[in-house]
Amino acid sequence: MKPLTLRSLLIRCGILAAVLFVSVFIALKLGAVPVSLYGLGRDLVRVALGYSSDLSTDYRLIVFDIRMPRILLAIFVGASLSVAGASFQALLRNPLADPYVLGVSSGSAVGAILALIAAQHMDLPPLAAGLLTPLGAFLGGMATIAAVYFLGRREGQIESGTLLLAGIICVSFLSGIITFLLNTLSLRDRGGMSFWLLGELGTPLPASLRWVLVIGFFAAAAAIYTTASDLNLLLSGEQEAMHLGVDIDRVRLVVYIGASILTGLAVSVSGAIGFVGLLVPHIMRVIFGPDHRILLPTAALGGAIVLVLADALARTVVAPTEIPVGAVTAIVGAPLFSYVLRRRTA
Amino acid sequence: MLAGRKIRMRAPWAALGLLAFLAAPLAAQNRALPPSPPAPSFSDVTDEAGRTVRVPQPVRRIISLAPSLTETIYELGAQDRLVADTDYCDYPDAARGKPKVGGALNPSIEQIAALHPDLVLLTRDLNRYETVLALEQLDIPVYAVDPRTVEQMISSSKRLAEILGVAEAGRSLGEDLEKRLENLRTRLAGLPARRVLFVVWSDPLISAGQKTFIADALRRAGALSIVESEQDWPQLSLEEVVRLHPEFIVFAAAHAQNAEKEFTALSARPVWREMEAVKNRKIVVVSEAVNRPAPRMVAAIEDLARQLHPEAFPPDEKKSPAAPPPARLANSSGLGGAS
Repeated sequence: MKPLTLRSLLIRCGILAAVLFVSVFIALKLGAVPVSLYGLGRDLVRVALGYSSDLSTDYRLIVFDIRMPRILLAIFVGASLSVAGASFQALLRNPLADPYVLGVSSGSAVGAILALIAAQHMDLPPLAAGLLTPLGAFLGGMATIAAVYFLGRREGQIESGTLLLAGIICVSFLSGIITFLLNTLSLRDRGGMSFWLLGELGTPLPASLRWVLVIGFFAAAAAIYTTASDLNLLLSGEQEAMHLGVDIDRVRLVVYIGASILTGLAVSVSGAIGFVGLLVPHIMRVIFGPDHRILLPTAALGGAIVLVLADALARTVVAPTEIPVGAVTAIVGAPLFSYVLRRRTA
Repeated sequence: MLAGRKIRMRAPWAALGLLAFLAAPLAAQNRALPPSPPAPSFSDVTDEAGRTVRVPQPVRRIISLAPSLTETIYELGAQDRLVADTDYCDYPDAARGKPKVGGALNPSIEQIAALHPDLVLLTRDLNRYETVLALEQLDIPVYAVDPRTVEQMISSSKRLAEILGVAEAGRSLGEDLEKRLENLRTRLAGLPARRVLFVVWSDPLISAGQKTFIADALRRAGALSIVESEQDWPQLSLEEVVRLHPEFIVFAAAHAQNAEKEFTALSARPVWREMEAVKNRKIVVVSEAVNRPAPRMVAAIEDLARQLHPEAFPPDEKKSPAAPPPARLANSSGLGGAS
């Protein structure tokens, strides 16, 4: 592995940040209500210079109060899923692992639904009620990855095929549970739930949850990043890494908890969005190489870019009706996934 | 590896710094209040979900997010102030021509905001709470209705009329509907309730629970839904239907031909074939208006009553004074569609 300099890391992240900026600009421009490029550019400059009071009401309302929060949400959800995916791929030494494929997203969804049902029967202050869903999603995700890890091991070693099958088993089991839970709820809540399950970013976040998302993302991503060098050594195998002085148990614990927090946060605010966590780290690995010290931050930025653009599509293809962004990522992601799979086995 | 080791300490902070830069706007996104155009006055009303809504007076621009509400607005004569509705708002015909803001479940919030509504109307049954939250964050007043019975549909329409400043239209509409329902009650008094299976969806078979407005509508039409479910829209097993054996099977359809097709498909299935109601073609088709808690529903109830209890409607008396019978589009199966 080539030695990493801060400069090279910053250059790579800088390029991606610029792409992200352009994606955000495109996403701000696109939507059911037409917004002119000139007007958007002028208003962004005004905001940047601090003259936001000069904006026209419509632009402010549509571009800054409706599209902007949603784009920011997409950035964090995309980054969370992508970092979680990169972490699972490293830890399980399987480039086909991701929160969705492994069933962690489904587990988080079950946890979140259970938390929602529980919250109806408890008299909680709004802040605690707001925290209950992400907490449920986190616990559900943790339980699932533990189960998948346990099922995927054979004679002490993780086997790629067995692991993916374990993921499939968990996904089918959990979707059965989800169907059961949704059928016991009344239709009134179900209409919303089925949307949320497909993954969507249209739901506005309460302020408390916004902070949970931001702080949780940075805490979990930072914790995972401290293990970046160890994850590099893990690429050559668990035994080998152990011989090189990696504290496997500590790394495993940090990364599992961190990735489960990231998945839980993403699922509790946006439902189960698939394929971002799988494909983005893979693409970043092709472009920037397998070094996790670069891969993790670039995957975060890449995930943000992908989800911002996917959501812009979801908002516009059949405007004014919106489709769940999970449908967009699945339609685009599944063919790419099969391409990756074939290239790998070929 | 030495160089890598040294950088390892610094790289996380660099990456974090970059991400923190990206995070700043999200954290700062404490909702900026759009400067709402100065409205002359407001009135605080409580909607049917128990929320307090500050409604500008007068209400000049209305957006309806449910077909039933669109119908009610037309019925109240307030359609000129309806600036947009949903893709599903197909009645009356003129409602199709209104600008659309998307589906009832997933409307475009920005499209709604761009139309500057004074009030957005939605129903608790059809729309999503997320839509309410999104609009509230933009300070767009949202009024939710939640009629669970025919009676509540009428009182809900009257209240809506008051909020929209057409209280008189609401009162006369309410009086008319109540008179027609009262008339129906007198006619059907003493007649045994028909045991019916109301088909909401035929595959899988979904019927309406006792707490829905459909069950209430059936009761008023002199029928009893055989389904005794706590759920609103229970999925029924075929065994259950056979055990409860309905006298009539009721379909709600926009076109009689659709219901006819559906019935043919059902009666071809193994167990259905053997059921008494199917063998004797005891099927009734009513206008899909019965599915929508809007004033037009009363016409559908009258039509249903006519078909289930023809003996209560002697042929010499073609018109009841209060309620003109709904126009019949199909001869025997009788599809009721009020105009």
